[in-house]
Amino acid sequence: MLLNEVFPLNPLSGVELLSLTPLFILAVGAILSLIVGTHKEKGHTFAFGVAFVSLVSCLFVYASTATISDISILGETLIFNPFTKTIAAMATGFALIAVVLTYGQDKKEGLLSEIYALIQFSTAGMILMMSTQHLLFLFIALEIMSLAIYIMVAMRRSSRFSAEAGLKYFILGGLASAFLLYGSSLIFGATGSFQLGTINTFLLAHNEPSFIFYVGLGMVLVAMLFKVGAVPFHGWVPDVYQGAATNVTGFMGAAVKFTAFMALARICQNLVFVDNIVALKWFETTIYVIAAASMIYGNFVAISQNEIKRMLSFSTIAHTGYLLLGLYAMKLGEESAQSVLLYLFFYAVANLGAFAVISQFEEKNQKDLTFDQISGMGAKHPVLGTFFTLFLLSMAGIPLTSGFIAKYGLFSSAVYAGEIPLVVIAVLTSVVSVYYYLRVIVYMFMKDTTSEAATYQGLKGAGLAAFLSAAATLQFGLFPRAIISFVKMISK
Amino acid sequence: MENSCLLSWIIFTPLLFAFLVMILPKSMEHLFRKIALVQTLVSALIATYLYSRFDGGVAGAQLTHLVPWLPEWGINYLVSIDGISLPLVMLTAFVGPVAILGTWPDLSHGAQLKKEKFFVMCIMALQTGMYGTFLSADLFLFYFFWEVVLIPMFFMIGIWGGKDRIYATVKFFLYTMVGSLLMLVAIFWLIKTSAEGNGTPSAAYETLSGLSFAFDGSSFGAALTSPQSLLFLAFALAFVIKVPMVPFHTWLPDAHVQAPTVGSVFLAAVLLKMGTYGLMRIAIPFFPQAAHYFSSVFIALGVIGIIYGAFCALAQTDFKKLVAYSSVSHMGYIVVGLFSFQKIAIAGSLYQMINHGISAGGLFMVVGFLYERLHTRNLEDFGGLAKVVPLMAIGFMIMTLSSVALPGSNGFVGEFPILLGAFQVHPFFVLFAGTGVILGAVYALKAYQMVMLGPKTRTDLEHLHDLNCREIIAMGVLTVFVFGIGFFPKTFFWKSDAALDVYSNTLIQKVGTYATK
Repeated sequence: MLLNEVFPLNPLSGVELLSLTPLFILAVGAILSLIVGTHKEKGHTFAFGVAFVSLVSCLFVYASTATISDISILGETLIFNPFTKTIAAMATGFALIAVVLTYGQDKKEGLLSEIYALIQFSTAGMILMMSTQHLLFLFIALEIMSLAIYIMVAMRRSSRFSAEAGLKYFILGGLASAFLLYGSSLIFGATGSFQLGTINTFLLAHNEPSFIFYVGLGMVLVAMLFKVGAVPFHGWVPDVYQGAATNVTGFMGAAVKFTAFMALARICQNLVFVDNIVALKWFETTIYVIAAASMIYGNFVAISQNEIKRMLSFSTIAHTGYLLLGLYAMKLGEESAQSVLLYLFFYAVANLGAFAVISQFEEKNQKDLTFDQISGMGAKHPVLGTFFTLFLLSMAGIPLTSGFIAKYGLFSSAVYAGEIPLVVIAVLTSVVSVYYYLRVIVYMFMKDTTSEAATYQGLKGAGLAAFLSAAATLQFGLFPRAIISFVKMISK
Repeated sequence: MENSCLLSWIIFTPLLFAFLVMILPKSMEHLFRKIALVQTLVSALIATYLYSRFDGGVAGAQLTHLVPWLPEWGINYLVSIDGISLPLVMLTAFVGPVAILGTWPDLSHGAQLKKEKFFVMCIMALQTGMYGTFLSADLFLFYFFWEVVLIPMFFMIGIWGGKDRIYATVKFFLYTMVGSLLMLVAIFWLIKTSAEGNGTPSAAYETLSGLSFAFDGSSFGAALTSPQSLLFLAFALAFVIKVPMVPFHTWLPDAHVQAPTVGSVFLAAVLLKMGTYGLMRIAIPFFPQAAHYFSSVFIALGVIGIIYGAFCALAQTDFKKLVAYSSVSHMGYIVVGLFSFQKIAIAGSLYQMINHGISAGGLFMVVGFLYERLHTRNLEDFGGLAKVVPLMAIGFMIMTLSSVALPGSNGFVGEFPILLGAFQVHPFFVLFAGTGVILGAVYALKAYQMVMLGPKTRTDLEHLHDLNCREIIAMGVLTVFVFGIGFFPKTFFWKSDAALDVYSNTLIQKVGTYATK
């Protein structure tokens, strides 16, 4: 009886099965990758091929099913509407770039061919997570995604930094998942449902939910804030970003962050931004404080870093802060949700590109690239230097790049929502961010090469990934209209 | 050429040439500077054509070109020109070839070109940004170009600059960023208000200048926290940093001293005017009440800038730093003129923008000539050059006279109306500003005397080359403008009259209605 309420099971119709196709493709692709990956000489290439094909066909399925009307499966558990399909397709797109980025990198870093299967598994987790409104499903999806990532982080077997990062991420991530699970059960206890929509209706009807609801909500939020790496749950971010192989870092920084943040946004929309409950204002205030703290902490600590991946990892904390600003503004307007999505998308693209460039210059098992090592890189590799400059300018939010459009949209929607003090903090801290992003450009273009300069690794995959990201960054920076109206359309 | 696209041609011609240079191989390096010269000449030609098409009888925007960019957010690619932007566009167009000619690299002594391709591309991208800033009629577009200008300048100072170039360029970038990001928040606010008023958001100047914001001038605290003041101060901060007005000027001497000569010329001649143009175009007319309320603060700071800049210039031994501080001083006049809310002073400010562009550009070129030949900028290393390099001495003298605003030179045409106009409202301040004119003469003539007159300090000064053909042409063009504007200001500025007239009338009328309320 209870089980039926939690998971109302009905036979699936043809269209419903079609909506699930991407998941099937990824599962089959992942298993196929595992099998073909065992080939002695060409295992990596085969596994790459399978992963590439399966991700491309996922995107193809998304493109061809775009016009199908909204579908919800298993009660309201999995929802496939234009919005969830688009964000799932975006995550798949990031995974595709990450797969391309991994090609070549895998052998250099001694990553096993299983990495391709893991990327697909975690992508499947992401797709599930994007489509679900159900807290338990969310937990399962998060675990599917995260378990694969834990392994990917620890996969650089000969590097002790990688093992350290993997272990750290696994233990802390496990704790966060436990928080999510326990919090969900408390919420269920207090409201009688795992469905975000149903809980929302419940909250609107009851002005004073029981105390355990707040405890549960707090735990769920802690878990999600951990996953997005917001202050004070950010401790793992620098070490994990640094220890993981750069392609994995790129994947995490883009796809995982994207997914986790979308889930966090959904939870907040349904459970936190409920106007009739006074006590929830405390949660809103907490998000406000966390947003400000993340911006300030991330940006100021990033200044003093001398290693590029570590610097980018602190900057990602700052970007989480900006996104939380958008999230906070979401309680007042639809537009903010669109801006958050755009920001996440553009940031993820620039992030993937930046890590693609970094991976071109990293030695095997090197923990991180230092600033000194990229001195004079712009003169020796003008194209990659220009790409990197473009990504950094995009993250700094300077015109010509998509990052500017994203920042403009995000901050303006926050101003529309009346959050001017927080926007001013965001703006002033982003001046700080300009400083450390510029520092990389200064080293690349304005200093001479030193003897310890990094050598160019000539990875084709990373080159392609960087090119794709650069093209997207410039394209959306100059002609953003199409994607903005698209996002507007799907958000309706 | 379609008239409606004319402005876009002006803006994007440099960019097209930049692409051309980008695809040319490095082996054609020696050609790049020539291509840049061709590009600036083409731009100047288009600008001249534009000048001929410009209807001086019309006060409003002309030659409007609209391309939808992001209409959902109220943002469009909207460019137009009026009598206020026209002189600045012409200035940019004519400074271009002059700067290229006057800073031609001298490779006779085995000097090597350094990343020539990128350098030339930076020069071109910079021009696109400057034209765009002056021609935008959409606030978002203005901001876009305003920021884009930073990037090539950042690289120009940072790669081809002097010893402390990195410090200087990062400082330059960050100073501008602080101001412009606060301006960005203000832009959001404006567009938001326009959306609330009209139903659809719009960033067009035309719409935004029609908005009115609450202002409470009953006490200083109330005035400071009024929405209109906050908006005004956010814009004004961005602009006065760029001008630069004391106390936000400290980036300028660093940037100027470290920048390569062509960078200095563009910086002094055009980039600084973006700040005063912004004040004139956006900060003051959009928020007239707040601007009027705070005008005495700005005038006071402007006057302090005039005197402080002059004293700093007086104390310099580095020639380039001296000219940089003289810029701080001379830009102060423009701020004073704009904030005096007097018709004649506002017109003078616009003239002064052009005139300072000519004189400061010329002075930086003289510094460049000397540095190229002697590799020093220390004033004590020169002396008695007038006999060795008479042409350079003449050119330098003309620029000095223009800078000290001698009647008959262009400088007088700008500074005199400013002082005249401002005197009517703030006689006390103007008294001090007037001393700036004297101080200006003191430091400028001191520099001239130390470089060109007196005994020679070094024996190698004997063999100094005088100006070559290119440099003569560059200085010659500037000289024509110095005396042309000096003697026949109407000939040069008459097309701005209608626009200036309407501009100041509207402004004074707005301020006047507030005052009587």
